Amino acid sequence: MINVRIPTPLRPLTKGQGEVTAQAKSIAEMIETLNASHPGIKSRLCDETGELRRFVNIYVNEEDIRFLKGKETSLKDGDEVSIVPAIAGGSSCRT
Amino acid sequence: MTTPLHIPQAILDDMVAHARELDPYECCGLLAGINGTVTQIYRVTNIVALEGAEKLSSFDPAKAAHLERLSPAERAEIAFVMDMQDFSAAKKDIRNKGLDLQVVYHSHPHDPARPSITDIKIATDYEEIWPKINLPIPDYLLISLMDKSKPDIRLYKIKDGNVTPAHIRTTI
Repeated sequence: MINVRIPTPLRPLTKGQGEVTAQAKSIAEMIETLNASHPGIKSRLCDETGELRRFVNIYVNEEDIRFLKGKETSLKDGDEVSIVPAIAGGSSCRT
Repeated sequence: MTTPLHIPQAILDDMVAHARELDPYECCGLLAGINGTVTQIYRVTNIVALEGAEKLSSFDPAKAAHLERLSPAERAEIAFVMDMQDFSAAKKDIRNKGLDLQVVYHSHPHDPARPSITDIKIATDYEEIWPKINLPIPDYLLISLMDKSKPDIRLYKIKDGNVTPAHIRTTI
């Protein structure tokens, strides 16, 4: 089992859970598995071509998958995966 | 009082130049260094104008809804979302050079150099993320361009939703 940390903006899709588990051998498989149990999560993480969106990072045991094998990065039992949203901010709302 | 963060003038100038180049849009980036001295600046692309960016950032629903009503250009005047490809490249370089992440900076082209409610909320959300990606909790630096001839630069610590001013020491 893989433990997946879900960031605040995606928790509405996981019924508020900050951590979920998935059975997967790669990041690509993990995304499909998560999408089956939490529909909509894949389109938030990947664009139409299946590439990871530029405003999200995925870390496996603190290592960025962009510097591993991307979505083909393999997973093993007990791995900790963190989905990390972009750092953001900005000035006060103007209407 | 905590020890002031040492930011060499050349790096401050580079950061202000970044803010001015993107004005009226917000700029964002990272500062890294060692032993309380900044040695490296990383400009990061502001991708708030990308479709869907506001949905996967930690904006609260009201701010995200507000951003969605704006044009891409209007969004970039009042918000930033870091390009995480740039962020990853910077993180890797920081690690390779044996440095620490010290500061997340961004500009407020039209507003004062103090964290907005959005800035505070996202910084607070991020407190639990930094250790998971093996980085220390950074300080936050704001550059206001309200007075174009005299940018206002201020540093803060944000913890548990509380904002504390921090000090900068500059040398040429």
